[in-house]
Amino acid sequence: MTHLGDRLSALIDGELDGAERDRAYAHLASCEQCRTEAAELRALKQKLRALMSRAPAEAAMTRRLIAMTGPGGPLPPRGRLLRLASGPRSTGRRETRPPGPRGSRVPVRRRYLLLGTVSLVIGLGTAAFTVGGSGAAAPGPRITPPVEMYSVEHAITGGEVPFTGPSGQSSAGAPVAGSGATQP
Amino acid sequence: MFAFNCPVNRRRAAWPFPVLAAVFAVAVPGFLLAACSTQSGSAPDHPATTTTTAATAASAASATTASTATAAVSQVPVRRPASALATSLLDQAAQAAVQTSYVGEEIVSHYGSSGGTVLVSDIWHVSGGQTITRTLPTGTFASGEPYLSSDTDGQWPEGVLGVTTQLVRLLEAHYIVVYGGAGEAGNRTAQIVEAWRDDGTLAAQFWLDDATKLPLEREVFDSSSHVISEDVFINVQLSKQVPASAPAGGPADPQGPWTTPLPARQLLALRAHGWLVPPVLPGGLSLFTGAQTQTSSGTVLDLGYSDGLSVVSLFEQRGHLAAKLAGWQKVTVAGHVIYAAEPDQRSLTWSSRGMVYTVLADAPAQTVNDVVGVLPHDAPPGFWKRMSRGLARLASWVDPFR
Repeated sequence: MTHLGDRLSALIDGELDGAERDRAYAHLASCEQCRTEAAELRALKQKLRALMSRAPAEAAMTRRLIAMTGPGGPLPPRGRLLRLASGPRSTGRRETRPPGPRGSRVPVRRRYLLLGTVSLVIGLGTAAFTVGGSGAAAPGPRITPPVEMYSVEHAITGGEVPFTGPSGQSSAGAPVAGSGATQP
Repeated sequence: MFAFNCPVNRRRAAWPFPVLAAVFAVAVPGFLLAACSTQSGSAPDHPATTTTTAATAASAASATTASTATAAVSQVPVRRPASALATSLLDQAAQAAVQTSYVGEEIVSHYGSSGGTVLVSDIWHVSGGQTITRTLPTGTFASGEPYLSSDTDGQWPEGVLGVTTQLVRLLEAHYIVVYGGAGEAGNRTAQIVEAWRDDGTLAAQFWLDDATKLPLEREVFDSSSHVISEDVFINVQLSKQVPASAPAGGPADPQGPWTTPLPARQLLALRAHGWLVPPVLPGGLSLFTGAQTQTSSGTVLDLGYSDGLSVVSLFEQRGHLAAKLAGWQKVTVAGHVIYAAEPDQRSLTWSSRGMVYTVLADAPAQTVNDVVGVLPHDAPPGFWKRMSRGLARLASWVDPFR
């Protein structure tokens, strides 16, 4: 029994015509050795095809890198270099994750949590900034200067007649002695 | 010709030696004559108008320079130092305000950047005793309430139109006091005394009653010759007793709640207890009096500063300004946001480092500005300090244990 030999690789490559191909298939049906050899050839051919599909990009990248080390032209733009390094753009469908019961809720919850935290910080900061600018919170009485008493004292000091302040109260010294003029 | 009439330029002019010799030859004897004079002459010794005769100058100068000196001196007024006559008149005026019995009406007008204020008061004074003052409703500050005071020991600087013994001393120390001649004020003959600044500008004029030396009128000018206060004492009647028309009532204690005036040494010692007691303030103001009082909110310290004309009272009290000050409005003075009492804005107040400062001033606006500028003020808090203070305050609000 004559095996296929070189015709086997031609069959795998699709180079045999109709009669030759029928005879080759008939032989493969009855010959275990040729079927095994044909399967090995197909596997090898697929591996080579897979390798050849990546080879152009890597070869182009290699050529670019070699060109950069030489005294040649200017460097390519950064964006273009990055695009080259990341390989060819995918033109097929984007691979999406199937939506599950937890996959859609976790990001939304985190988003709300982040939004609430930022709002709290901004609100607290605004309130602290506003409150912090309204004078020191140091202990001590809160005083409204008694203008009447001070005016009388000032007039005596300056050798002039005493007079009243804007409230129109008495200019006398005694009534203002107890005017603590404080606020709790 | 302007240079001859301008006191400032006159002082800075470089005169040749013969002219200066003639000037000194005339000025020195003239000064000695004025100092030795004990009677109120009618010839004024106004520093800007005093002239000497050509004959006197010519006789004093050498023969070779006589003609030149005569021409110069006859046109250039001579600036004289303070006259003893003017000093004596002011001293008599300060004493007369206390020792003379009188009744009169005092009108005090102040002109500031925020407008003018007028105060009209009736005054009854008994020699060495009580003074009753009643502010009339016609003034800006209408009270009608009498103010009763007495000064039997002379410790309090009571006076008329700001002429007190202490202020006269300061006036003579800070200004050139000269006799200005005879005049009239309030239908009474008066002697005029003038106070001049070192730069040759007129600072004040006093009209003193010829018979009693009571102050009848005072005008105060700023360095730009603008009137900043004009006080008159009119309808003056001399009386040995308080007339029946005088109002009764009012506090008998002239000092009110205040202590007697504290000496400068005792005032400066208050620094050790945390009080701010600057010995001087801008504008040539010196610390000359002070007192303390007790209120329900603590001790109040009053410090009086003056140069003899301007009077600034600085009140200090520990604490902080109330959140809302009725009758006060925010103003910016010397770059600081403080509060001014309505309506005349003579009273200024702010708090800094746990102390409330209140300034009452009868002084030029520039002096008030400088005084407020040198006193303590809290700097605006930075961002982080403000935030930390605000957070601490917010935390204290929600703290259940406070």
